[in-house]
Amino acid sequence: MSTISIQNLSKSYGSLAALTHFSANIEQGSVFGLLGPNGAGKTTAFKCMLGLARADTGTVLFDGAPLEPHMFERIGYIPERSVLYDWMTLAEHLEMQRRAFSRYDANRARELLALFSLEPRKRVRSLSKGMRTAAAVVMAFAANPDILILDEPTTGLDPVNQRAVLKLMIDASAQGKTIIFSSHQIGQVERAAETIAILKEGKLLLSGAVDDLKSGWKIVEGIFESDQFSIDGISSDPDVQRIERTGRILRVSVRSDSDGIARRMTELGARDVRTLDLNLEDIFLGAVEARPKEQSLDVLR
Amino acid sequence: MPSVFTVDPRSGVPIYLQLIEQVKRSVAVGALAPGEQLPTVKQLALDLTINPNTVARAYRELERDAVIETSPGRGSFVRSDGAQGVATKTRDDVARDAFSEAIREAKSLGLSRSAASALIAQTLDRWFPKEEASS
Repeated sequence: MSTISIQNLSKSYGSLAALTHFSANIEQGSVFGLLGPNGAGKTTAFKCMLGLARADTGTVLFDGAPLEPHMFERIGYIPERSVLYDWMTLAEHLEMQRRAFSRYDANRARELLALFSLEPRKRVRSLSKGMRTAAAVVMAFAANPDILILDEPTTGLDPVNQRAVLKLMIDASAQGKTIIFSSHQIGQVERAAETIAILKEGKLLLSGAVDDLKSGWKIVEGIFESDQFSIDGISSDPDVQRIERTGRILRVSVRSDSDGIARRMTELGARDVRTLDLNLEDIFLGAVEARPKEQSLDVLR
Repeated sequence: MPSVFTVDPRSGVPIYLQLIEQVKRSVAVGALAPGEQLPTVKQLALDLTINPNTVARAYRELERDAVIETSPGRGSFVRSDGAQGVATKTRDDVARDAFSEAIREAKSLGLSRSAASALIAQTLDRWFPKEEASS
């Protein structure tokens, strides 16, 4: 009951194109991870989804319908910057949450406070950065929403509490709730998300299921006897995305048919040809740092 | 039930494939007995801190490969009918992958087919001396 469809979303702030033609489909019960360097447009995407920023173009549909005020209580949101009030206690924040969300679960709130060892009588002023993040997590999950939009929900948390947040997301997903989150910690996204999108400078570079991206990409590496070797039949292969030559070593990023490239490399005289799997960090860095293939080939010629 | 599985999410091998391999291996070596219940999707996802749909995908493929069966409301179980056949088949799969990897390595080191074949024969002699003597 909570599929999110983002179509062609664009948002500029003056001359800065914060988000350009971003589309994504987030299935109900799935966890969608948004990755990208700082300034990639992740927070802008979240704000446009929630109506906190007005998109220049594009639509966001929740189960096929645009966002309406009555739907807010079905959405839990953790903003990038804390919106907690310094002079209020955690208990007072939770009381606000109880009034705003009809499905607010007081027992759940108590469990979550205990999980993060948070003392409800404490004023926000006295909380560390990590504790503020944990407080925002408690508020979002205690509201018992169908959709969770989490902008860096583990910032400042120690590894134990980071793991606790991931488990909350996994548990929510197993209950059919839909989650979209951003993180700079690729390892977290690799665990919790089944689908990801990589943004850079407001543009979508890559998206898909993490496991499909991993099985879809390989690096084939070979060592030649001298640095004067031919790459005939490799540079022209349409599945080859990236070619790096360093002295006698050739590294080729390839989609799908890595065996064919490995054979071709052996035919060209390479020794010790190895096919390596790419993890999400390799895929992320490859996408974010990639030069266009033609350009990298020009450098080689 | 404590989970006997582990995955390395940072590996380039897709997590669902890692899980499939482990379940097949456990069935092949008898660590999972015929009829034995597997953890629920949610439980395994929480134990390993991985996405539940990824676990569900592994279970679906294991069902398709006739290694496990799932009955709604009861859970997933190692198949008991013809479990011996399943185990043998998956044991062959596991061994075949290991052989392929070793032979690929030999080839990339520049060994000829006959050199690789000789090494395989030597290795077989070391691990199966009695069979060698009787044949």
